[in-house]
Amino acid sequence: MPNPIIMPKFGQMTEESAIVEWRKKEGERVAKGDVLFTVETDKSVMEAESFFDGVLLKIVVPPGVNVPVQSVVGWIGEPGEAIPETPPPPRPAAKPATATAVAGAAAAARAPVAETPTVIVPAAVTAQTPSAPARFRISPRARRLARECGIDPTKITGSGPGGRITERDVRAYLMAHDYDRLRITPAAKALAIREGIDVLSLRKDGERVTVADVERAIAEKPKPLSRMRQVIAQRLLQSKLTQPHFYVTVSVDMTELIAYRNGLKASGLPYTITDFISMAVVRTLQEFPTVNSSTDGKTVRWYSHVNLGLAVSIEGGLVVPVIHQAEMLTLREICDRSKQLAEKARAGKLTPDEMSGGTFTISNMGMLNVENFAAIINPGEGGILAVASTQKQPVVRDDQIVIRQMMKMTLSVDHRLVDGALAAQFLNSIKQKLEDLDLWKTMT
Amino acid sequence: MENYDLIVIGAGPGGYPAAIRGAQLGARVAIVEREQLGGTCLNWGCIPTKALIHAANVFATVQHADRFGIKAVIQTVDYAGMIAHKDKVVGQLRGGIRQLLAANGVTQLTGTARFVDRQTLAVGDQRVRAQKIIIATGSTSAMPSNLPASPRIVESRGFLERSSLPSSLLVMGGGYIGCELACMAALLGVKVTIVELLEDILLLLDADVRREVRQVMEQQLGIRILTGQPMEKIVASDRDVSAQVGNETVRADLLLVAVGRKPVTDGLDLAAAGVKTDDKGFIPVDEFGCTNVATIYAVGDVTGRTQLAHNATSQGIRAAENALGKARSRYESLVPGVIFTVPEVALVGMTETEAKAKNRAVRVGKFRFGGLGRAIAVGETIGFVKWIVDEATDQLVGAAAVGPHATELIAEATVAIRSELTARELGRTIHAHPTFSEVWMEAAHAVHHECVHAPPRRK
Repeated sequence: MPNPIIMPKFGQMTEESAIVEWRKKEGERVAKGDVLFTVETDKSVMEAESFFDGVLLKIVVPPGVNVPVQSVVGWIGEPGEAIPETPPPPRPAAKPATATAVAGAAAAARAPVAETPTVIVPAAVTAQTPSAPARFRISPRARRLARECGIDPTKITGSGPGGRITERDVRAYLMAHDYDRLRITPAAKALAIREGIDVLSLRKDGERVTVADVERAIAEKPKPLSRMRQVIAQRLLQSKLTQPHFYVTVSVDMTELIAYRNGLKASGLPYTITDFISMAVVRTLQEFPTVNSSTDGKTVRWYSHVNLGLAVSIEGGLVVPVIHQAEMLTLREICDRSKQLAEKARAGKLTPDEMSGGTFTISNMGMLNVENFAAIINPGEGGILAVASTQKQPVVRDDQIVIRQMMKMTLSVDHRLVDGALAAQFLNSIKQKLEDLDLWKTMT
Repeated sequence: MENYDLIVIGAGPGGYPAAIRGAQLGARVAIVEREQLGGTCLNWGCIPTKALIHAANVFATVQHADRFGIKAVIQTVDYAGMIAHKDKVVGQLRGGIRQLLAANGVTQLTGTARFVDRQTLAVGDQRVRAQKIIIATGSTSAMPSNLPASPRIVESRGFLERSSLPSSLLVMGGGYIGCELACMAALLGVKVTIVELLEDILLLLDADVRREVRQVMEQQLGIRILTGQPMEKIVASDRDVSAQVGNETVRADLLLVAVGRKPVTDGLDLAAAGVKTDDKGFIPVDEFGCTNVATIYAVGDVTGRTQLAHNATSQGIRAAENALGKARSRYESLVPGVIFTVPEVALVGMTETEAKAKNRAVRVGKFRFGGLGRAIAVGETIGFVKWIVDEATDQLVGAAAVGPHATELIAEATVAIRSELTARELGRTIHAHPTFSEVWMEAAHAVHHECVHAPPRRK
């Protein structure tokens, strides 16, 4: 009896996943531990290994289709073995218990609802993507004519029973839209038909429709956002819609800290300016627990740990790896952990757990030559600190204009939790730490 | 100081059409030329070579006329007579351009133009101003710097100005200029050796096309072709020119250097107008022909784009329209290329090699002239044509022809590709019988393995 291949559950939050690519073909022999396919979760691309030796008998779920975790995506067995009609009951999903347990902890706070036990849907059902609305009815001859003409039949009103489109309807539609007068090169028409672009939508005044016009239309066709961008879109919209942001900006004099850090670097120590900022933020969050919290509008949750998110820009989007329990770490440990997480992020190797559970985030665009910017709070967190570039500026010190290395930081906070005065104190407390060289000398 | 709407610098195949188009649009136009009207193309390029190549082909036709039942004895080949014919042709065409310019009211200025500022030019002692200026100064043969100075070493212009043929000829460079003149000389009995640094001659062609030409050039015309090695240690003496190619010493009466062309911008003082050039000295233009200076355009060889006269003419007309405020249009991107070797070669659009490099899935349909009634009747059965067709949409994206009348036949392919026809449409088009042009129809059928006049594909 063949063994089912189950869509694995990567991370606690994942409810559904899509296969990016099958690494094995149907009929190919696989050994236990071989990579069968890669999976796109809402955070990253992971590899799924085989638990069985045998032959990949059938691929049930093609790439690109979202299915619930624990669904059957394929079958492994010996050639000739029959594949069951209905998938056998999935291996018991031990996850719900864990999920609920974790839901009580800080890490799951961002999930608005406690995770529901995964519903198993037969993969074959979810794999089908409906090609047209159920009520769209058209005769085969009409469909063929529409296709030959390169027009979109869904725009035609049918006169047959139940609104079925007949060949006559298509002809009437063509006539009504002056199809005869459409000028299009043969290659452009062939391309439009192939790509499913309605040639009538390409019509130009007086001029012939060319391949270049069709290529423009193809380029403008809506395509699905990458999974990563969908997640970004969903989360940031959620934040902007539910968390009323306000913003406070300060300028920090970084002259001395930069000189100090350069000295450390010259003696072989790896600290970056970001590490000092991270440490200053971690320290300050402990002084201001109100900022290290989240709310649903009715209750407030103060987090006992500082789980510091660091926004990292990667190909096609950004990810926010989290330094968990950062308050327990020394500056050197924060430095090492940041570097390690950033490398994993760029290599696409972050695990979902390394990307969740944050309580406050730093977004540093210092290397991108910006004067100032305001960031959007990660949903479920109390605030985010946007760090801009350090630039030489004329500033007044003791009534003299001097040149100093100035850096602007803008704090975005959830106004439901934090008011202006508190935000100002919080931000100035970070600023004071960064300008206090004696503090850093005790830590390095 | 005279004021014009448009001044064109250079009266070659890019410049004079620009001036005439400007005049047609109602502008006050002047054109500046320091040498001869018609430029390289008319005086030292396309036209004179075609006059001589035709003469050489007439000689070859008469030589081989006995297969048609005609017995002829050729008394002499008078190369000076051929040159006289060439000069007469060139003179006639030059006169034609002068009259056309005059009839359109274009002021003709003789001398080297120099920019004073972006709207003012000095031509000799005279200063002229224009709202818009088109640079059409063309190109000249590039000469390697290590060549000795000798009357036995010439480039194409010097070669065409000689009134006699050498008895043996070395050609440095297997591009189209070198190959055309090599074929012409070989037809007239000159012992020719071509030396090409790269791995083959005429490298812009697909390998199957190259193979066809090279075979005829070597086996029928007796041209020696040495590839993949540089020509070194070139020495010119009173008696001959010699050079080292690999381990071998090659000798000939004359060395023709045809290794490419470089832009002509000397004396223009482009910096005075702020016009930028690239590292090779070409003037880069945008797709409308405009240089980095908004009122100054450039056309033809000096832009470093496809260096062919017909491209320059098309650009010249576009540039004049764009400069004078007609609805702006882009330079055409589909430029046919023709090579008057034996056999003739022509190509347009994408080659198979380019398609492969761009990872574009294409099909190829080929048909040999040997399968055409007309070709057999006149005894011109060497060569083939091929279509390169987009696999997904059946669009004709490229064509190549090698064989009789290839340079004329390419026109149909050019129109078809620019009109974005599919192979099916082209194949369905009735082609007159018996003509060479049927070859395109047959090749279009071959794309879908539906050729009537070729054996079916083996399964």
